[in-house]
Amino acid sequence: MRKWMLFMITLLLSAAITACGSGRNNESDTQPMGESASVTTGGKSNITILIGKPEIAKQFEQMAGEYSKMYKTNITLIPLGGQTAYEKLATLYASGNAPTIMMLGSELPSMKGKLLDLSNQPWVKHALPGTLDYAKDGDKVYGMPVNVEAFGMMYNKAVLDKAAGGSFDPSSIKTRDDLKKLFDQITASGESAFHFSPMDWSLGAHFTNMMFGTQSDDRSQRHQFLADLKAGKVKLADNPVFNGWLDTFDMLKEYNQFKKAPLAPVYDDGTLALANGKAGFWFMGNWAYPQLKEINPQGQYGFLPVPISDNAGDYGNTQISAGVPSYWTIDATKSTPQQQKAAKDFLNWMVSDPQGQDYYVNEFSFIPAYDNFTVKPDDLLSRTVMEYLASGKTLEAVGSYFPADGWPNMGATLQKYLFGIIDRAEVAKEFEAYWKNAK
Amino acid sequence: MYSEDKRLDKMKAFLMFGFVPLLAFAAVVVIPFAVGVYMTFTQTDGGAITSKFVGVVNYAQAFTDPLFWKSMGFTLEYVVWSLVLTNVVAFLLALLVTSGIKGQNFFRLGFFTPNLIGGIILGFVWQFMFSRVLVQIGSVLGIEPLSTTLLGDPDKAFWALLIVGVWQNSGYMMIIYIAGLQGIDKSVLEAASIDGAGAWRQLIGVRIPLMMSAFTISLFLTLQRSFMVYDTNLSLTQGGPFRSTELISMHVYNEAFKSFNYGVGQAKAIVLFAVVALIAIIQVSVMKRMEVES
Repeated sequence: MRKWMLFMITLLLSAAITACGSGRNNESDTQPMGESASVTTGGKSNITILIGKPEIAKQFEQMAGEYSKMYKTNITLIPLGGQTAYEKLATLYASGNAPTIMMLGSELPSMKGKLLDLSNQPWVKHALPGTLDYAKDGDKVYGMPVNVEAFGMMYNKAVLDKAAGGSFDPSSIKTRDDLKKLFDQITASGESAFHFSPMDWSLGAHFTNMMFGTQSDDRSQRHQFLADLKAGKVKLADNPVFNGWLDTFDMLKEYNQFKKAPLAPVYDDGTLALANGKAGFWFMGNWAYPQLKEINPQGQYGFLPVPISDNAGDYGNTQISAGVPSYWTIDATKSTPQQQKAAKDFLNWMVSDPQGQDYYVNEFSFIPAYDNFTVKPDDLLSRTVMEYLASGKTLEAVGSYFPADGWPNMGATLQKYLFGIIDRAEVAKEFEAYWKNAK
Repeated sequence: MYSEDKRLDKMKAFLMFGFVPLLAFAAVVVIPFAVGVYMTFTQTDGGAITSKFVGVVNYAQAFTDPLFWKSMGFTLEYVVWSLVLTNVVAFLLALLVTSGIKGQNFFRLGFFTPNLIGGIILGFVWQFMFSRVLVQIGSVLGIEPLSTTLLGDPDKAFWALLIVGVWQNSGYMMIIYIAGLQGIDKSVLEAASIDGAGAWRQLIGVRIPLMMSAFTISLFLTLQRSFMVYDTNLSLTQGGPFRSTELISMHVYNEAFKSFNYGVGQAKAIVLFAVVALIAIIQVSVMKRMEVES
């Protein structure tokens, strides 16, 4: 009896000690402890991918499955459902189950210490100019651009053609007033002119870009503006761009399909409204295309800039916002060299092999961030974005440089303004207050 | 007086029975809690436990954050409403299904079912109800307040949260009240009716005092659950619009994981723990005194 009991206690204690031991977080440790058993199965490497874009999860899984069949790599996906990568990674790293490949956005700068240097990868020289800036540290590259995303006034061509009585010419819209006239035409044709999505990320991360991105056409000036805002030196109420931007906001508010209850719609309402031609315009980005295609395969969509003044020559009235929202990165601290190699191969395959490119362009509806794609998107929306990119008519996505709580805070302010419980002066005040205290 | 031998035996016996649960309790409650408290005094990004001591900076930041107190106030309001409504509804349901009506077992099951569905799923089901079904009904029948979703307006979203919370928890509390009602000695009730007490008098004067312990437990559970609501909050409103429906759990979570202020978030969590513990202790000790024996 006593022996048995002692045995049990020893067993339990040792179990407890080893359990605590395997959760230990040792930075210099390159051998994964919690998953050493599952690095390879049957001569195949096992890699896990933390993937953030729920809209392509289904298609990505399909691609990963095909890749696993062809090459000696098993791929497991860890999809993010409404969390940020940071939230999920804090848990995964603490439990010693770091993913091999991670899709990172604003987390990237703080994660650099844990990431693999990818400078020698073949895709580096094919990346479009400027797309690697955010993922660089000196001359080392830590991330591979996932894609280029553009956002602005997305339109349903059929609705606009009907409203314009013939074929709609996108180059005819250069000012706020032009857009207003077009809105009136759409309204007269019996549809809503505009669907305004009230999600805080759309307002706070994307809509604010027209204000930050058009402060100057010179990058250093734009970032100076951010720095001044943080230092509390900017009076937004006297800033012409800020005021023009809010004038446009007011106009969009006026023509909003859900004017009565502006905070009611969810993301899917916007997809449905645009795809079914219930609304002519939707402020959103090309990531919405797979769903739009699903609802209405015949639909043709294009992009217009969000004009912020009545002067056609002003910077921003002929540009749409575009940037690299996230990067593929490879973990260097917990994955074995074999896993790291398999991860590099997979990422490179995706942007260089015709099959990978086909998935990338046709299944994910991604706009390539590389110049070596033989597969070209064939839908109007992606073509429009590529044209803007090629002619350099893009606004920098300044949102990448916001602090983590930047868009939730500014998004909340804009929601209040959209709802009509604060006025312009208060928007300026809340923005200034947020930036003054921002980290 | 125990001899050395006896004490060892007692120790052994205790270890035999108590070691495993103690170990489990330590591993999942005591140690994480201690680490959590420790982390509030350090500067950390949540990635690892650091030893960069910063003193009470995190607490100072937590206490001076107006949003934290706003969220706390919002949560208190939610808790009060939810406490009253859940328990009133649950008690009425319990009376209903013990009154001997036809099919009462079926009703019992039906009222309890919402509890068996996870909060996230429940939230999405209700989100569909609020933003699609009710809106359709509202616009077809021309009822103006119903024709737009409750979730798009901060004041209405509060009620939406409350409706779901009450709907979810009433069934569970009902079970406790049923147990309380059925545990009352029949002879006491007979004596009361011989003395001429009507049904109402019996309920107020005899049944409720005799089942006070059921109220204690139910109120405690409702209190604790309402303070800790996260899942339905997430799937219904995500704290929106403009962070106006952020219950305190969500506020703490967002502070730690969305704004990357892990230390401050952790400090807020400790403050929240203290507040809930205090309120719960007061509630239980006050109600314990109200319990009577037949």
